[in-house]
Amino acid sequence: MDDIKTTIINRDLNPYHSFLASFFAGLAELGMINQGSINIVSRRAAEYLYSYLDAKDILPDMSAVPGDSTAEVVKNLILYINKIISLMGGYDLQELDEGQVVLLVAADKCRICPKGVGGAEVKGTLCPIPSFIENLVNKIAGTELIDLVTPGIEKEGTTCKAYFQIKS
Amino acid sequence: MAQTISDQLDQVLINFERNVPHVEAIAIVSTDGLVIASRLPDKVEEDRVGAMGAAILSISKRSGEELSRGEMCKVLIEGENGYLLIRSIGEFAILVALVDKNVRLGMLFYECKRCIAQLNEIL
Repeated sequence: MDDIKTTIINRDLNPYHSFLASFFAGLAELGMINQGSINIVSRRAAEYLYSYLDAKDILPDMSAVPGDSTAEVVKNLILYINKIISLMGGYDLQELDEGQVVLLVAADKCRICPKGVGGAEVKGTLCPIPSFIENLVNKIAGTELIDLVTPGIEKEGTTCKAYFQIKS
Repeated sequence: MAQTISDQLDQVLINFERNVPHVEAIAIVSTDGLVIASRLPDKVEEDRVGAMGAAILSISKRSGEELSRGEMCKVLIEGENGYLLIRSIGEFAILVALVDKNVRLGMLFYECKRCIAQLNEIL
């Protein structure tokens, strides 16, 4: 219980984060979901959230999204998405060679992790963020701006990494 | 030149298809539900085969443990149009095969066992 309290305070969770992360964790522990199925349902969630933003009339005007390059536009779209849904307490998007970008998420600040927040005791990754971000960015842009390179997240130390290819 | 792991896995799947008539689709999937290698027709979505195959196996394993059925050997689902066979390949991978209803199950199980022995060596 103390671990849960610490997680809630340190990661600044709201009730929806707590519910979603623990809900995913429970399903994973029953063997009902895995990274592959999370990728599929995250795409659906991105479609739904797009409809939500549209219904609330808070979709960004793409012509007004700042950025001299596609990577900068993507960075600003992720900033906008995270302001709305507040999945990541700490993150950065860095440009790599050959048109790739990497989303670096501070693992101890992530608010949706079924393992770190929900406490899922399972092997492998269970991250909804890469597929959700890929699909919502593309949906808002109205075109394919990014393509997920790795089907999930790679954890290195305290950082989770998702690689995307920028589409020209 | 030595074959890559990917080429070796593809070859095992090709042999499986050749040896077992009526195989419609076959895939090697990680326990995370991500496809490692596959031979699937266009109408079959690769990411769904991976996610569902891994989830079915994982639920079956869990059910076997909870209901005292011991270690799970294989999952066979029979449908109107054929079968779905799922088996573990070691600790981290899974074999998923979709076969039509005319398959000889004995042949399918035999070839599956042989194929998994080969895949265990490669992976």
